[in-house]
Amino acid sequence: MDTDFDETYILLLLADSNLPTGSFVASSGFESYGTHGFLSISSASSAGKGRATITGTVDFIQDSLHTYARSALPFVSDAYRIVDAFKDLKGKPEIEHDTTIKKLLELDELYETMTLNHVAKRASKAQGVALLTLYAKGFACPSGLGDEDHLSKSLAILIDRLKLMVRGEETHGHLPVCWGVLTGALGISLLRAQHLFLFLHARSLLSSAVRLNTIGPYSSQQLLLHSVRPLVEAEVSQNKDIRTGIFVDMHHNDADNRPATTWPLGEILAVRHDLQHSRIFNS
Amino acid sequence: MSSTAGEDITVGTGHISCDLHSSTVVFSKLSSSYPLKLLSPRVAEHGVAIVYVMSYGGGLVGGDCMQLIVEVGKECKLLLLSQGSTKVFKTRAGNRASTRFRRSSSQPTPSSPSLQAVTTQSMEVTIAPDSALFLLPDPVTCFRSASYTQVQTFHLAGSASIVLLDWITSGRRSMGEDWDFLRYYSVNEVFIEGRRVARDVLLLDNSSLDTQTASESCSSNHTSRAPLRMLKDRLAPYSCYAMLLLYGPRTHDVVTDLQAKYRTISIFKRAAPERFLWSLTPVDDGKGAVVRAAGVDTEDVKNWFREALRGLEVVVGIDEYRKVFL
Repeated sequence: MDTDFDETYILLLLADSNLPTGSFVASSGFESYGTHGFLSISSASSAGKGRATITGTVDFIQDSLHTYARSALPFVSDAYRIVDAFKDLKGKPEIEHDTTIKKLLELDELYETMTLNHVAKRASKAQGVALLTLYAKGFACPSGLGDEDHLSKSLAILIDRLKLMVRGEETHGHLPVCWGVLTGALGISLLRAQHLFLFLHARSLLSSAVRLNTIGPYSSQQLLLHSVRPLVEAEVSQNKDIRTGIFVDMHHNDADNRPATTWPLGEILAVRHDLQHSRIFNS
Repeated sequence: MSSTAGEDITVGTGHISCDLHSSTVVFSKLSSSYPLKLLSPRVAEHGVAIVYVMSYGGGLVGGDCMQLIVEVGKECKLLLLSQGSTKVFKTRAGNRASTRFRRSSSQPTPSSPSLQAVTTQSMEVTIAPDSALFLLPDPVTCFRSASYTQVQTFHLAGSASIVLLDWITSGRRSMGEDWDFLRYYSVNEVFIEGRRVARDVLLLDNSSLDTQTASESCSSNHTSRAPLRMLKDRLAPYSCYAMLLLYGPRTHDVVTDLQAKYRTISIFKRAAPERFLWSLTPVDDGKGAVVRAAGVDTEDVKNWFREALRGLEVVVGIDEYRKVFL
């Protein structure tokens, strides 16, 4: 089995900018950052305004990645592991479904209580349920094909159930948790899932920057390849082993390897998004 | 996490327990051990008590470990204040028997030892039905190379209320400190009837060595890599950051005021950032709220909070509120 090719194929699908997840309406606070006058204060440059906004954009991406990796990636990782464990049980009796769902809900609730930012939560929930819908309507093995095995069926039922709970407002369906579920179900490696999660966040920021006219489309590609790549890799490397601690030792609050916000300025500006007199993004 | 015998020693512990006895708050417990010091002045307002939480020497040294337990009894209103900013001095390994260590997550290099003596403060609070806690200390100031961990957990009964302020400044400006401490880690966790409603974790870390090591190991073109940002870059231009959490019936009027103020703000494109910024977000379906603020001058942040929380005068008394945000 050429598993490398399999995984690459799935990565190509997930990296598609046409993926129906609605991420294009979210700037993750970048629009607010610019409106509030933060784009021009970073690293003074004699080359003029254009250069300054490019530098400012990269600075934003670096700070945003830094905090997002530390706060959200652990939820991706733990959700992935929960689905992975579910797969190991080969989707046997209903009890496994129930305990898996219960764990995912706890994780989801923890993310809700740790993300004290209604604008970010709004965006997170919209994109999260979109991913579950994508699996249900796009990636799950179509029932007509015939070679759907027991595990695929079980995963489809699990994710469908989760999606219904989100629509029924029994849980929030936050993006990092849903991403972990989706990638766990699709079977790409955890490291690939983590890397792609942060890559997509960075790419989304660059797309927002192009639409806001702070950088041009070629600059965007140049930054994505040269400046942003080492940032994404560094953050994956630093945060890939961080866990939420929810199932282990939450009472050890001063443990080193727990999710945290590292950029309070980013939080303030993201929440203030709705205060902008005019805006083109939803968050 | 490794630590020395510090876990079991009663150094730096405190216990506050209060109840209402016919409209007067009485402390059944108000004890502390060095270097923690508790002081409770007489209060005129009925049902209100104030405790100043301080440390001998006015500051905390690397390795100090303080643990405070607080129990607010039924219908009591307790203000926990400080006298002056909590100063955290740099880490000095091995000074006290109670010194707490933390294994650094980065590889040990000649300039960064693998063990750091961390200053730790923890507070465990229980707030009974119809009672309220107002935790309104001065900000924490971590000096150069200091490493500080603060964990505060609040267990509220269904009808309890809390106003919790957690804020930090960039250091001693007179010494040119601008977010030069090593590490600041603060956890504030609130439970209502056993259910977690908010968990705010702030990590401000200057050990950029971690990121550097990781970046160097990847194969991309080094010359086009963006310069790694330090903590001061990420927090500029502000030298004070604050988080205020409000929850419960006694805070409703203040939250309503804040929401009204917030709704009047409309931002037009700016060329440069404002000197003071604040944000407001609902918590637990609007039953609580979180304010975050940042200011170029700590004084501006303090003045803003004094006015923002003015509505507490009717809750704790005018004379009592005057003692806050001095």
